[in-house]
Amino acid sequence: MLAIEVKGLYFYYTKDEYVLKDITLEIEEGESVAIMGSNGAGKTTLIKHFNGLLKPVKGYVKVLGRDTRKHTVAELSRLIGIVFQNPDHQLFAETVEKEVEFALRNFNFPESEIKKRTAKILKYFGLGKYREVSPFNLSEGEKKRLTIASVLVYEPEIVVLDEPTIGQDAIQRKRIIEVLKELIKSGKTIIAVTHDVEFATELFKRVVVLSKGRLIADGDIKDVLTNREVLEAANLLPSQVTECAWLLKDLGFPENIITVEELEEHIIKVI
Amino acid sequence: MSHTRIAILRGFEFREKNTIIHRLDPRAKAIYTIVMSIITLMFTTPLPLLIIFLASFIVVLLAKVVKEWASTMKCIIILSLFIFVVNYLMAPTDKLNYAISMTMRLITLTSVFSIFFLTTSPEDFSLALLKLGVPYEYTLIFTMALRFIPTLARDLQMIIDAQRSRGLELEKGNVIQRVKKFLPILVPLVVYEIKRSFMVAEALEARAFGAIETRTYFYEIKMKPLDWILSTLLIMLLTLIVFLYLTNMLPK
Repeated sequence: MLAIEVKGLYFYYTKDEYVLKDITLEIEEGESVAIMGSNGAGKTTLIKHFNGLLKPVKGYVKVLGRDTRKHTVAELSRLIGIVFQNPDHQLFAETVEKEVEFALRNFNFPESEIKKRTAKILKYFGLGKYREVSPFNLSEGEKKRLTIASVLVYEPEIVVLDEPTIGQDAIQRKRIIEVLKELIKSGKTIIAVTHDVEFATELFKRVVVLSKGRLIADGDIKDVLTNREVLEAANLLPSQVTECAWLLKDLGFPENIITVEELEEHIIKVI
Repeated sequence: MSHTRIAILRGFEFREKNTIIHRLDPRAKAIYTIVMSIITLMFTTPLPLLIIFLASFIVVLLAKVVKEWASTMKCIIILSLFIFVVNYLMAPTDKLNYAISMTMRLITLTSVFSIFFLTTSPEDFSLALLKLGVPYEYTLIFTMALRFIPTLARDLQMIIDAQRSRGLELEKGNVIQRVKKFLPILVPLVVYEIKRSFMVAEALEARAFGAIETRTYFYEIKMKPLDWILSTLLIMLLTLIVFLYLTNMLPK
């Protein structure tokens, strides 16, 4: 079954100002996809359609076969967990533990299961020692991890993250990448909205690019993120690895190198 | 959801337009608003109130803000009905007339104030307050409050979206359960806005806010002949009506 099926999606907030135009997109179960594009391209608007927060003006969105127009946000959120960008927009509970329990209680998990899962996820995210601490007293990196934990705890089939690496220092960023790597390996469908080219290349095989509300590229990350036109339309810079390969073009380096390993391989070949 | 809730505020949101009303000095417009409000509160019969209301509608037409004005008026329909019912039940005699008058008062006052805010930019308004002797710090608070209404609405929407994505169902449950469900929305909103206000304060200080006692202004407002004429006429009208009121010559 398709994890997400978007067909001919159009959307506007105010009439005639389309934010999304004719988006068609299929994401298989177990796939990991990065959604990229410049500010205001419609990325967040698109993911808000995935759990029915926004409903299409035209076209449809199906999540694991369920049409988002026919299900409530709560029903859909049980299947697809979305972690929004800013932790300040969602942290509210008295303690870190209660914050994580929030979704479980909303979805009517039994009490024993709530305790078990909360303890496990807090440990996994290195937040165990903050169980009784107010979420507002955590550092920015910890807050971010807490928001991710509070979604992963109910084990949705699909996980969507909006700009997970923004404002994170190198260590926090690495931690988030590790968690996501493991999730991808375990077969979960992972979708991330990001500006971070290096982050995308490290985790995702497929990338979808939006520009001015239209889907302008969808394919293998190796091809999309080394395509000059696409990068320019999306206000993205190529990764340093790609840039390096482009500079060494005269030595016979191919243009579509994105990983350090590939670059290394070619350098050794040339030497 | 929040889009409908803030609709009433849209009726007070200023948009730049070049009409005769927009060009008036904010002080002249303030005099109009104050005079009309006082007159409105002096009458308790429907007919004069209706006349004031229709007069305000002419101003709305001149200012070309019918749509924005209508959206404010739409928002007070429920409140108007409430006021009508309560006054009808409470009135000692002549129930219908009294209830209609009280409702007309609310509608007319809303209309008059809406005109002021729809046609006066926050900058003009704070300049007018300054000329009336209000300290700059206070006028700034007012301008910033207006400026942050759309920001607040956007934050609220993002918080609602985030919590609904975590399974929060605002529309389910009995009254007590529903009230409790607003906590996950109110807590982040209050915390976030307090945080934001500290950031704004720091940004202001970083730009040397309050460094010198007497500020100068880039924009100045000036009463033009038309402003003087209108203000004079309005004050004459007010004097006349107050005179009639005090001599009991006004229809009660």
